Amino acid sequence: MVTIELNQPGKTVLMMGDEAIARGAIEAGVDFCASYPGTPATEIPESLARVADRFNIYAEWSTNEIVAFEAATAASLAGLRALVAMKQNGVNVCSDFLMTVNLAGTNGGLVFVAADDPSAISSSNEQDSRSYARYADLPLLEPADFQEAKDMTKWAFEVSEKLGLPCILRSVTRLSHSRGNVKLGELPEKKRTAKFEGVYISGAFVAAQHAALHQKLEQAREDFEPSRFNFYVGPRKAKFVIVTCGSGWLYSREAVAALGLEGKVGILKIGTTWPLPEKFIIDHLKNVTEVFVVEEVDPFLEQNLKILLAEQAKTLGPIEVYGAKSGHRPPFGELNQDKVITALTSIKGLQARTRDEKYIEKAKEALTYIPPRMPTFCTGCPHRASLWAIKSALKLDGRDGFVTGDIGCYSIGAGPAGFFQLKTIHCMGAGIGLANGFGKLEKFGFNQPVIAVCGDSTFYHAAIPALINARVNNSNVLMVVLDNGGTAMTGFQPHPGSGCDALGRPAPTVEIENICKAIGVEVRVRDPFEISQAVQDIYDMLQENGPRVMVFRRRCFRIEAKEKLQKKYYVDQTKCIGDDCGCARFCSRVFNCPGIIWDQEAQRAKIDEMVCTGCGVCATLCPRGAIIVRGAAS
Amino acid sequence: MEAGKSSSDLELEVFSQDLCTSCGACVNICPYIKVVRDKVAVIEPCGLTEGKCYDFCPRTLTDIAALDKSVFGKTRTDFSLGPYISIEMAQAKDSEIRCRAQYGGVVSALMKYALDTGQIGSAVVTRPFDGAIMPASVLVEESLQSLGCAGSNYIASATLARMNEATKQGKDSIGLVGIPCQVIALRKMQSSKHETGARGVKLVIGLFCTWALSYKGFSEFLKGKVDLSQVKRIDIPPPPANVMVVETAAGDMRFSLDEVRKFIRPTCGVCYDMTSEFADISVGMVEGIQDWNTLIVRTPAGKKFIDKAKKAGVINTRPLEQTRLEHLKQASSTKKKRAVDAIRKRTNDKKNLLYLRLSAQEKKKFL
Repeated sequence: MVTIELNQPGKTVLMMGDEAIARGAIEAGVDFCASYPGTPATEIPESLARVADRFNIYAEWSTNEIVAFEAATAASLAGLRALVAMKQNGVNVCSDFLMTVNLAGTNGGLVFVAADDPSAISSSNEQDSRSYARYADLPLLEPADFQEAKDMTKWAFEVSEKLGLPCILRSVTRLSHSRGNVKLGELPEKKRTAKFEGVYISGAFVAAQHAALHQKLEQAREDFEPSRFNFYVGPRKAKFVIVTCGSGWLYSREAVAALGLEGKVGILKIGTTWPLPEKFIIDHLKNVTEVFVVEEVDPFLEQNLKILLAEQAKTLGPIEVYGAKSGHRPPFGELNQDKVITALTSIKGLQARTRDEKYIEKAKEALTYIPPRMPTFCTGCPHRASLWAIKSALKLDGRDGFVTGDIGCYSIGAGPAGFFQLKTIHCMGAGIGLANGFGKLEKFGFNQPVIAVCGDSTFYHAAIPALINARVNNSNVLMVVLDNGGTAMTGFQPHPGSGCDALGRPAPTVEIENICKAIGVEVRVRDPFEISQAVQDIYDMLQENGPRVMVFRRRCFRIEAKEKLQKKYYVDQTKCIGDDCGCARFCSRVFNCPGIIWDQEAQRAKIDEMVCTGCGVCATLCPRGAIIVRGAAS
Repeated sequence: MEAGKSSSDLELEVFSQDLCTSCGACVNICPYIKVVRDKVAVIEPCGLTEGKCYDFCPRTLTDIAALDKSVFGKTRTDFSLGPYISIEMAQAKDSEIRCRAQYGGVVSALMKYALDTGQIGSAVVTRPFDGAIMPASVLVEESLQSLGCAGSNYIASATLARMNEATKQGKDSIGLVGIPCQVIALRKMQSSKHETGARGVKLVIGLFCTWALSYKGFSEFLKGKVDLSQVKRIDIPPPPANVMVVETAAGDMRFSLDEVRKFIRPTCGVCYDMTSEFADISVGMVEGIQDWNTLIVRTPAGKKFIDKAKKAGVINTRPLEQTRLEHLKQASSTKKKRAVDAIRKRTNDKKNLLYLRLSAQEKKKFL
């Protein structure tokens, strides 16, 4: 049994933040969940899909975030409770709908989970999605620990239902992907039926709707004042108070304890960060002269608090505010307790805390355990072969052609893993979008061929309008769809081409090549493991004009290797010529699959059988035929 | 030979200078250099400072006298046609072969004979139209006729890349049909200090060649005018016609040679060899005679082979008239002079002959 479905109210269990959010939704009786995968939000819909049958939830992987949001909103309009979860980039994709659904309003509880990725651990950007709440005039909740992740999610449905607005819940990687204790609540009896009534139109009487929205927000502010997610800890009448929210709460508490400041420094923790519970904050800052705002990424709380302090200057008197603006906290990158400790030490003029010598030594030693390497593709990854084929074809073509990149596993092809082929990376769909423009620069003397690479999931998500654009404007662009059969980067969730739904049941497929044909562009399909043929195809397609599509189709080999036993390979070191002319360590140095290692002692290549998936591509590339299937006659 | 040059130098001195002939000598000997159509490129620098690729290339230092010595054991006395034992006219006896051939069918007949009699185990030959106008070099081990390898094409294919592949598979006793740059590269390979399977090539039939066309330029030129997949034969009738005839299933198309010449590969302009001077046997057309070839026997091995072929009734021969011989010498000398001029124009230095190293006597004749 999955932890999140336990029917044991009061029991404390260890839960990942994303699971806690999913459990909160279950306790709120969520009916509908739609999402597009994206780190760190993926495990929320994944957890709900896993228990969908048991709790009568409809769960889907949508084609992209805005479709997911719209679908979930439909459920809300029909009186159901719905949740949509996404990473920060997905919020941008949703923004158009967000800026109209706020005016048109919602019915059943609708929770919009925005999971940010500070330090962009698994993202193409670093973004603080909280500004969307202020921008769209929507209520924003920020859980600070695992229990709150569950409890606030449950509450978010009530907030949404009462206001008739989507309620935004913001998580961050460190919360979504860590685990902590969560005390379970009751599982509800669900008896909702869906029925659509009323009118939800943004665009008629917009100014009046906007005014009404502001009233709803004032209502939210009142409702937030007594929330148990806003609280103060520390000495009464503290002069110095840390104002914090989200992940900043635990870091602040740890920093204060580490510096022994419990008796001097108070912590005002805000869970409802937009709109701010102004009375609650003013009450707790009455005797305060200094405030340190601890939050992750943008100075969102800091700026809103400063406005409040300015407004309340007469009541509160002058208060010194430390934070991002004062340089005590960087407004970028992930926060941690050390950053808070350093800031507090500097603000309070304390002796810098020194580390235990042994700790420093151990930490240095631990660093040596990490293999020194750049991010790389998995063993057997078809992208390595695809990008080698693309690199070869571009080199053979010789006109300084280049690749516009997109978002997916293949993004690391911008580095050594993909032979530095990707020259641009932005948001999903931007590769083909940019290529559209490059492909029309001929009259300005531009003669470089452009290849837009795009994953299969990205193709459905964001690339189709740009491909249509390339077709109707006859842009000179070669699009290469790196089709590995799923949304691989986030854990191989299905997409419209996969043939199964979020619950793993068979589903109809929409074929990439059929879409291309319908658009009217030339399309070829090729297995990138047939490298020489792939090189020739790409080379030939580069010689043509107008939009063209090559689908490099080869299933993610990690999945393939998990599902069926693959061949075992070994290097015949008597055939391998290692560093000599004719090879110069091509497999382990250039092609660089982690499954091939350099045997220092023998000065020959060697297969690391622990990680080799048996794809066999290196065997086709070895100039000496020294990489051999185990058991095969040589 | 200059030592210490690598694929990066090859890229700099040959590829980036449009000097690559697409002979394929540097292809399939390592994973770094690839060919598609008639385009060869270094995909990634291998990092070594010295390499076979550089040494084998027909457009890196090529010392004519040194090659003469290594192939013939002595230097040349005939500076227009290179070393030879005999020159005559020849044609295939088999009328079927002759029928399929562009001219006298001598190359097809000789290769078939060599294969059929086991004098060679396999042959690297070129199928002139491989689905479209791009030729393909192929390895054949049995019947030659069924493969449609007879006829001429004016686009270079990387014959030596196919040969490298064959020798990697352990093939020796190979017969090879190549154009002059390919034969030069092969001989450079065979006389190189490096380990190479090229020594397994036992019979070299060289073709006459005046120039080759770039695949990209020529195919783009033909596109829209001719269905490329239907091309059966391309021919350049003797002067003063000044046309290229492209024969297709739908009929013949004629193009002015002046138009076609725009697509001649720049490297052909610096080529010093019209008659495949380093082959065992060289074969070409006889100007004005449609069904005979010119046959130049150069090496003792070549002579032995031709003698046997004659005895076996594979080819008919007859003497080449003196005026025709003079004409051939004239044509070859003209090509050499043009090459030397083109090189000196490129280097802007009268003494700098780029890749070419000539003896004092040759310099006197052509500079």
